[in-house]
Amino acid sequence: MRSGTENRSDSRAMNTPHILTRRNFFSTATGLAATAALSSLTDVPLFVQKALAEGGIGQPNANGRVKKLLFIFLRGANDGLNNVIPHGDDAYGPKIRDNIAIPVDPAQSWNAQGKALFPEAGTTGATFAYPYSLPLGNGFAGLHPALKFLTPVYNAGELALIHRVAYPQQSRSHFDSQAYWETGAPRTNMVKDGLLYRAMVESGRAGKNSLTGVSFQNSLPLLLRGSRAAMTNLSDPTRYDLLGVPNTADGNLKAARTLEAATGASFPDKANRDLLQQQYENMRRTLEIFAGIDFSETGNTFVDSENSDGNKPYYLFPTTNAKNGAGPSGTNNPGYVVPTSAYGYFNQLKSAALVLNKTDALVAGTQIDGWDTHSNQGGVTGAHASLLQRVGWSIYALRQYFRRYADQCRWDDLVIVTLSEFGRTTIENSDNGTDHAEASVMYVAGGGIKGLRTDATGKVTHSGVFNCGPSDPVAWQTGMNGSMFQSTGRYLQRATDFRSVMGKVIRDHLGASQEQLNRIIPGYADPNQSLKSGGIQAQDKVRITGEPDLI
Amino acid sequence: MVLAAISNGPPRDLPNLDPCVDHRFRFSSFRLEPLALYLLSKLSVPTDLDMMKPVFAGWILCGVLGMVRMVAETPGILSLAWTNGRPSLEFQLVPSVSEYRVRSTPSLGTSASPLAGKHWGNRWTSDSAAVGDSGFYQLEALPLASEMVRSSTLLNRIAYGPTPDDLNRLATLGTDAYIEEQLAPEKISENLDESTETGPVWRKVIITGTGSSSKLYLYLNGAGDAYLDDFRLVAGTTDNGTAANLLINGDFEQPLSSANWATTTNTVHSARTTDYVHGGNASFHLVQNTAGSSGTDSVIQTIPTNLSASTPYTLSFWYLTQSSGLQLTARLSGSGIAATVPLQGDAESPIPYYSRLQNGTATIGDLRAWHVLHAIQSRRQLAQVFQQFLENHFVTEYSKGLTYFDERAGLPNAWSGPESTRQEFKENIRWRQAFLNPQCTFHDLLKISAESPAMIIYLDTVLSRGDYNTTTKTNRIANENYARELCELFAFGVDNGYDQGDIEQISRAWTGWTVELLATNQAANPFAPRTTAMINSGLTNATERNSVTNLIGLWSFRYRTDRHDPRVKWVFYERDAQGNILTNSPKTVPARFGPPWAGRPYGLKLNNGTTTNGIQDGYQTVRHMADQPFTQEYLSVKLCRLLVHDNFHHGYDFTDAETSPEESLVHDCMLAWENPPQGGPKGQMRNVLRVILKSDLFRNPNTAAAKVKTPLEFAASTLRAFRASKPDGTLTARADAPSLVASGGLLDRAGRMRLFDRAEPDGYAEDAGGWISAGTLSERLRYVQSLALAGAGLATGTGVRSSPDSLGLSRMDPSALLALRLTNGANRSAEAVTDYLLRLLFPSEGSANFSQYRSLGIQFLNTTDNGTTPSEFAGLVPGTKDYDTRVRGLAALLLSSPRFQEQ
Repeated sequence: MRSGTENRSDSRAMNTPHILTRRNFFSTATGLAATAALSSLTDVPLFVQKALAEGGIGQPNANGRVKKLLFIFLRGANDGLNNVIPHGDDAYGPKIRDNIAIPVDPAQSWNAQGKALFPEAGTTGATFAYPYSLPLGNGFAGLHPALKFLTPVYNAGELALIHRVAYPQQSRSHFDSQAYWETGAPRTNMVKDGLLYRAMVESGRAGKNSLTGVSFQNSLPLLLRGSRAAMTNLSDPTRYDLLGVPNTADGNLKAARTLEAATGASFPDKANRDLLQQQYENMRRTLEIFAGIDFSETGNTFVDSENSDGNKPYYLFPTTNAKNGAGPSGTNNPGYVVPTSAYGYFNQLKSAALVLNKTDALVAGTQIDGWDTHSNQGGVTGAHASLLQRVGWSIYALRQYFRRYADQCRWDDLVIVTLSEFGRTTIENSDNGTDHAEASVMYVAGGGIKGLRTDATGKVTHSGVFNCGPSDPVAWQTGMNGSMFQSTGRYLQRATDFRSVMGKVIRDHLGASQEQLNRIIPGYADPNQSLKSGGIQAQDKVRITGEPDLI
Repeated sequence: MVLAAISNGPPRDLPNLDPCVDHRFRFSSFRLEPLALYLLSKLSVPTDLDMMKPVFAGWILCGVLGMVRMVAETPGILSLAWTNGRPSLEFQLVPSVSEYRVRSTPSLGTSASPLAGKHWGNRWTSDSAAVGDSGFYQLEALPLASEMVRSSTLLNRIAYGPTPDDLNRLATLGTDAYIEEQLAPEKISENLDESTETGPVWRKVIITGTGSSSKLYLYLNGAGDAYLDDFRLVAGTTDNGTAANLLINGDFEQPLSSANWATTTNTVHSARTTDYVHGGNASFHLVQNTAGSSGTDSVIQTIPTNLSASTPYTLSFWYLTQSSGLQLTARLSGSGIAATVPLQGDAESPIPYYSRLQNGTATIGDLRAWHVLHAIQSRRQLAQVFQQFLENHFVTEYSKGLTYFDERAGLPNAWSGPESTRQEFKENIRWRQAFLNPQCTFHDLLKISAESPAMIIYLDTVLSRGDYNTTTKTNRIANENYARELCELFAFGVDNGYDQGDIEQISRAWTGWTVELLATNQAANPFAPRTTAMINSGLTNATERNSVTNLIGLWSFRYRTDRHDPRVKWVFYERDAQGNILTNSPKTVPARFGPPWAGRPYGLKLNNGTTTNGIQDGYQTVRHMADQPFTQEYLSVKLCRLLVHDNFHHGYDFTDAETSPEESLVHDCMLAWENPPQGGPKGQMRNVLRVILKSDLFRNPNTAAAKVKTPLEFAASTLRAFRASKPDGTLTARADAPSLVASGGLLDRAGRMRLFDRAEPDGYAEDAGGWISAGTLSERLRYVQSLALAGAGLATGTGVRSSPDSLGLSRMDPSALLALRLTNGANRSAEAVTDYLLRLLFPSEGSANFSQYRSLGIQFLNTTDNGTTPSEFAGLVPGTKDYDTRVRGLAALLLSSPRFQEQ
């Protein structure tokens, strides 16, 4: 079988085009500076000219800005109904979720239109003390209270909450469904590389720039995998230093100098020497770049300029107890902004943010594990709520970070997306948990995202909630035969294909042409899939919205 | 100004090659008559020293080595300039060159005489003034001995890189003899998996650290026991044997008591013993009930002296080797001093892994370690390379097997990993055995893969059904996964002689191929029912009694008639416009294959009915596909890409008059596949391999170093490069396989090469693009430099940190290798050391192409750690830290260079 975008049979043509020859390199490789100031690197022009005369992925726009993407994969299947909660559907509640439903605050008006509720920390200083769903201001949906830090982003109009996202003929296998989300080609094994990988290939920079797509997790996710260029996965960015023998300052400098000189030596041309030459140069630059980025714990000094809990500002990337909100006050440490078990994850998230902000990487991301909540999922608090805290704080903190500490990447240049392989059953199971189902929620945030918009009178002109409101294009049908039960009696049916969301972001944010997008997400070229403009998806006859109006 | 008019001498005719004459390369025939490149300078010598401009590009070298044509790719002189009246040439380097020479003559009619000059990099500068205004210059490139180039390519392609001994051995043996030797692995004695040690031996451990506490813990990382003796802890960084021992009863000559060695519940059976003794009359028998890790589950001595955290101490002790995979830890609380040692006798021996693989208790880490140790040590190097090729070609995924046994087959999680490992091991052992047969065919190998439970699970055949469904009144639709990859990846190659309709037909053939727990004596009988032999037949609960956890047997291939689609399958038949199969029209081999294949019908009708004969559907399919020209072509291409270079692909038009050397080689492979030179069945793998290894293309200097190493090849070749035997039998480099293959080890970090656990069915990449990126290179460099630091004795120097990455017991000792190979003090010469290492690590490059590396190496050796302060290498004494540091530093840098990533 032939994958949609690859030709595996001729590797040489794929691996060696458009690269500097060694001779050119040698003539330009001059000094032996072992370290270079970061300032001289942040504006380094693209190392190699763009190979494809098409599209704008990775290319500076008219304002000189390059658009970037940060992904967070929620592995294990996030229960979307416990994120953006359809209180306007009278079927939701203890009837179907006796032990885990989220109550509404009787003191709040659910009909009020406008901004979402952001409960203040309260007199106890507790960060997550509010025990009710947070009204989203569309008269229908509420946000799980553990996601309360999403509301500042939502109210700024920079967050799209897209409910009922899935793909045709939903697989309920974690393995298969994660693969389909990552390849962007559901229900086929024909496509074996990742959709963000393909976006990087289309940028013309993959395999040429030091960093294009980067993940910070245990292994390179399928999203970034492919055979034509190696994306980078870093389990630990502090490993990027060149060691010498002996491993001393002098020894390391001597090693770096000699290696650099050795890299510049002339040799006869051979099949892979240009590639090696170039990647050594890339590595050297990466080492230099990383030497100028402080990935260490002591370098984690980024704090919130707007909200605080008590007297001290929030640290944006909570990696220790001392940097976790107001710290352990009261029972169950309600002063923390994230669970203490999340420090490793926030270290990775911080690394992803630093790499996007300090290098010319276009895509970076990480993942949160543990969403497979078959038992004891919890309600306002509990296992699922603790995972949601991570998500809410991540998006909030990234916004603050890229607004306050922007360097190569401003908040306006960034889009954050979350992915998760499927949603969970509408009706809770006998273990107070939920099982594998179909549609779930995607979060899309960024300075350029078109979320909540209001006019001068405060009237909502554009909702930030998609597919969970009373007047959506594919309307949320209420009741015990409604949207939540349309598939096999207990699954939420999709209203949007995740590929339409990714496609919108890749084309209208990252800058792919439509032709490129048709290659990055093969389903776009197939009118029966209705990914762009919506319609009936032929595979299982479900109506979808097409691309949400979010950029 | 220079006006350089060029006279480009005509290419000389190649000597006629008489096909009746043996043109194998002979050393005496090597003196190549290089074709000259003439530069004619017409006008006066310029005074403008900046004058340096491209002159022209033309051919520079076109000669003959036996049958081998060496044609450089449009080489040429890039520029010509005069500096103070001296000509200076910039030119393109040519692969595998031992020397560049320039001759000059005032006129073309007279013979050219050698011109003295300096060559550095891609530039040659005359020592003296040029011939006059209208001189001619002739650039000669003297090639490296062809046999040397071929040795290097062989050792990098059919072996995991050269060892110092290999290079010498091939120089004596000759490359043709080496090829024939390696193609017959059954004749090479190999005992890696057989015990040669006479029994357990006492080994010593010495470690220096700081006094983080006064409590010493001893424990094992699992249930088991160990014999220990003669513990000493002394102040300082060395132990001369006479310093005061800070431990009480370290020699276990006194009875044990809580005042010296205290046990815990977990080590309560530990005791003083006289069964084995290192020194004196007694030793310590450590018995561990479950894994220890701290003071609550170990043996503890509270040292009477208060140790200081700022003071170095040296701990030493002896342990008796054993065959288990257990590790012993001796450490101070706080780990100021911490030693963890594997108890197995020889850290490099595959025997413990092999014995666990044999008895079914091995983890996937054991299998990987076993595999890597064979790659490094096996004398059957080609067989080892070929086995890795097969494992990667017929890819299966350990994790998918684990999930199947865990979630579908009902095994406990703890058993599922070893069971999945066993299946991976089993198919590899079968391939290994098959290749020991001189007439091993591709069909043999394909059949092993098809029958392997690892494959049946991996590509979902295990759950595939095609039997009649009485509810839907149709046959169930078979899973196409294996059928598709069989066509695309295992036999024909993508889009090569099959289509979706064929995949659907083939997928039905495999229905009923499942995996079942069969009685041990029925494991090779695919028709046997599930075993009924029980571990405990007395269990009253029927579910427990009949659970797979209570049954005795082996998970094996089982064929189920009740799941099989018994209808006729028409594989590789034409269809009409409506998609109906034309049963009188089998597909025919396309014209591009030419004779003898073109036009052959290759339809396959499978009609084996409902009985157990239905199993033949699958067997007939692989039998039929194994020798089709599509398979011949695709596998030949893959083997050429493995052994020659990356730029082969299938789909050549073999009838085209224009043939590239690549296409010709693939065609030759196919002919050897189709018509075995010595008779016997089609598809004999050794024939195909021999064609490739003896081809002109394989000998070509452009083939040398034309591929990059995978992480596995890099790891193995790094250790092999410095691996020679010392007179005392120890080695100058040794591997710690578990650390190489561990999560976070080199193979994992340098591109996620998790052996036996590839998720995608296309296998790990053979080409460079999949392996070389900034991130993976930096891990390779980090590994090399950690390896150079590991165990170097440098850790105690002021301000010197030790290796940051634990590489277990991996070691290399380049100084010891130099002492062995550079005698009479040559190991103190910066030039001799640099030259030796360059020849060792890059044997095919040719010394003339290393002028820059050479001067860098010499400069490296002749400067202090800062790289600038002169410090004569000749003034350093072998055996001292300074000498060792210089040598290790240079070795690490050469292994870190782009050239060592090539093979």
